[in-house]
Amino acid sequence: MSQYINNIVYGIKSFMTGMKLTWKHFANKKELAATLQYPHEKWPIPDRDIGFDHSEYNLIRSRLHVDIDDCIACMQCERACPVDCIKIDSIKPPKDNDYDCGMTSNDTQKKMIVSRFTIDMSECMYCNLCVYPCPEECIYMVGGPNADKHEIDYEFSQYKRDGMIFEFADATDEDIRGAGGDAWLEKRDAKLLQRSEGEKLNGIIPEETIPQTSKETIQESPPLKEKAADSSSNIAKELSIASFNDIADKMCRGISKKAYTAAKRAGADDPSILASVAQALQDAGKLSDDIQSILDLLANTGNEVGGKNMPANDENLESKESNEIIGVDLAITKEIDIKDLNDIDDKMARGIAKKAFVAAKRNNENKIDAISKALSDAGKMDSDIESLLGKYAVAGSGSSTVSDSIDIEAPKASNVDVSEASNEDSLFAITDLNGIDDRMVRGMAKKIYTAGKRANKDSKEVIDEIKNAISGAGKMDDSIMLILDKLDN
Amino acid sequence: MTSVVDTFISSVAHLDYNINILLFFIISLGGVVIFTIFALNAMISVYFERKVSAFMQDRLGPMEVGIFGFKGGKRFWGGIGQTIADAVKLLVKEDIIPKDADRLLMILAPFIIFAGALLTFIAIPLSEGLVLSDFNIGVFYIIAMSSVGVIGIILAGWSSNNKWSLYGAMRAAAQIVSYEIPIGLSLLLVVLVVGSLHLGDIVQWQADHRWFIIHSPFTFIAFFIYFISTVAETNRVPFDIPEAESELVAGWMTEYSGFRWSLFFLSEYANMLIVSIVAAIVFLGGWLSPLTIINIIPETWLFLDGPAIGVLWVMLKAIILIFVMMWFRWTFPRLRVDQLMYLCWKVFIPISLLNLFLVSLWELII
Repeated sequence: MSQYINNIVYGIKSFMTGMKLTWKHFANKKELAATLQYPHEKWPIPDRDIGFDHSEYNLIRSRLHVDIDDCIACMQCERACPVDCIKIDSIKPPKDNDYDCGMTSNDTQKKMIVSRFTIDMSECMYCNLCVYPCPEECIYMVGGPNADKHEIDYEFSQYKRDGMIFEFADATDEDIRGAGGDAWLEKRDAKLLQRSEGEKLNGIIPEETIPQTSKETIQESPPLKEKAADSSSNIAKELSIASFNDIADKMCRGISKKAYTAAKRAGADDPSILASVAQALQDAGKLSDDIQSILDLLANTGNEVGGKNMPANDENLESKESNEIIGVDLAITKEIDIKDLNDIDDKMARGIAKKAFVAAKRNNENKIDAISKALSDAGKMDSDIESLLGKYAVAGSGSSTVSDSIDIEAPKASNVDVSEASNEDSLFAITDLNGIDDRMVRGMAKKIYTAGKRANKDSKEVIDEIKNAISGAGKMDDSIMLILDKLDN
Repeated sequence: MTSVVDTFISSVAHLDYNINILLFFIISLGGVVIFTIFALNAMISVYFERKVSAFMQDRLGPMEVGIFGFKGGKRFWGGIGQTIADAVKLLVKEDIIPKDADRLLMILAPFIIFAGALLTFIAIPLSEGLVLSDFNIGVFYIIAMSSVGVIGIILAGWSSNNKWSLYGAMRAAAQIVSYEIPIGLSLLLVVLVVGSLHLGDIVQWQADHRWFIIHSPFTFIAFFIYFISTVAETNRVPFDIPEAESELVAGWMTEYSGFRWSLFFLSEYANMLIVSIVAAIVFLGGWLSPLTIINIIPETWLFLDGPAIGVLWVMLKAIILIFVMMWFRWTFPRLRVDQLMYLCWKVFIPISLLNLFLVSLWELII
């Protein structure tokens, strides 16, 4: 029984003791609370002490910082870094450029601008070795003895690893451009683009493996075909894997490149390589006319004269011009302009009109009269042109405003025989050769034409040369002969 | 006898409404009010408890979350928005029911526990006349209704199909059923002296005589037995062996999450509030001003002693008791099961019976 009562008494006593203890802590919460509200409060950072007094070594190694205004891009820190975490790009303004790179705080004239100064603090091993060689003392560990330059920062954790790369360069694109760093900017932008594309492609099947639909092929091939034909002379002089880049269809390109590599490895010469490529394409059922023509072209490239000829892209210009006609603005200015003449459908008439316009302008004559006269002389005056010119004549006299009821028909691109009569005394147009169907022959003819034009030969000489060349290549047929004869006349 | 329901019905009696509709309306409204009180109580108590525990352990507790940009004091009353954030978090959490659980019972259990707390609160007067339903047998009803929760606990433990849950539920059942006896005996002491089970009568008796905590040594002891037993009944430390996170994960609550778990949580703090208010009413003078103990109060202070201000006195007393419960929690280590049973059956119940006998003698003699 006494044990029982002792237990109860002891229990009450210990109860009281425990309550008293916790109450003491509760009541003294202000003094006893041990919590440090970390982001808001921080412990002071103790000074580093390695046991003896040396200002160089007794500094806290917290984070590297660069006073970029003082940096002269001497690269000494980059070289000193044992882990290559410092990357510096600098641009030296060229001699004729008077771009001022500024002065450092030590009154050193800076000779370059720093376009990039990155320190990857995730790689940095805090050895401080970059700090010693700096002639301008602009790179240093923050805090400690440098606290007056930059406050201490030892907590720079980031959500992404990229965040640990600190960029100190503050040169803007304008600065860099001013110092002649266009090449650098291009390089940087290309790199950024590449990276962003890489990120975009992440997880996507490479396009090469996706079979192209025939529709796409049709859509893509015409411009490429033309390019291949027109720039045939620019194609590599000897057969290489790049020669097949003109093939529009990606799959065909892949097949032909593969076949090329296999044949090349087997030690075959160019014609047999092409033959094997054609065979491979045939097997894959992908051999189309376009590809065949490209292959033919390639087969002949080696035989042709490798001159530096201008690509015959007059045709493109022509079609571009004709496209513009469609989009002509209907708003009519009071004064006739040479552009207004684009409304004339007939190419020849347009040429005559424009010529007359320029001449009249030079001589300060009445442009409308001059144009109509020139056109009448050439027998090209028709009702459309008349109404067009009449409108401008009215507008020019200011008697009435404009009726915009001009009939604009979408003109079709040039025909071969349009310029029959146009440039009688000078050379015919290169576009006239487009009537030649065979791509290879056309290329050959255009090449000769360009060479002849440069040598100031007249039409007859050039056509003769073309005839000879085509006959020499064994490609002459009736239709080509007909076109060339037509041009000759 | 006046209650909120009676007052309402008598005040609208002349309007000739259907009495059933009126009852339905007032009872629903009462339920909503009680639920709101519970929710507020839980939110405030949780914040209070976290702060108390933090201060007792030389910490600061929640400091960062504020309401509408107000984070509270810089040092010690920060983070007052923490429980709102916690409540939102709890409500949007996934409600998981294990595959092999007894679905119906598992869903039902938290509602039974919460219903127990809700039903108990109906009979609790917060001030004179401020009670939803004024029972003649208020004390008896409260004791009876506070046992309803045990059914929910056993159901929760059983339906979870988890041995820790079942262990916890069995321990809880044993503990709660055991500790109801000293609670009943302690309250019986007061009922014996007053001669009524009506809580209003008990407070009135204290107003006429003196508070029961200082009525006699026996009621003084009875108050502590009651209070400690209610701590055990609400499964709080140091009597939290049904939960015993170091042994049973979370006891009978192990498999619950989200809203159902928050109902358990709500009920736990509601039960704390209920037992504290009952202790305040029965032993600490209820809505009587503590100033009445001292007879030298000036006349001008009498406004502090009325039915309106009584709510504040009841709540103040209850909050002090809740604080003491928290103080217990962060002071004492958990009892073993045998120690728990020893305390109940071999200490509290004999002393309560002895108390009952002695207080009868005391009443006869004095």
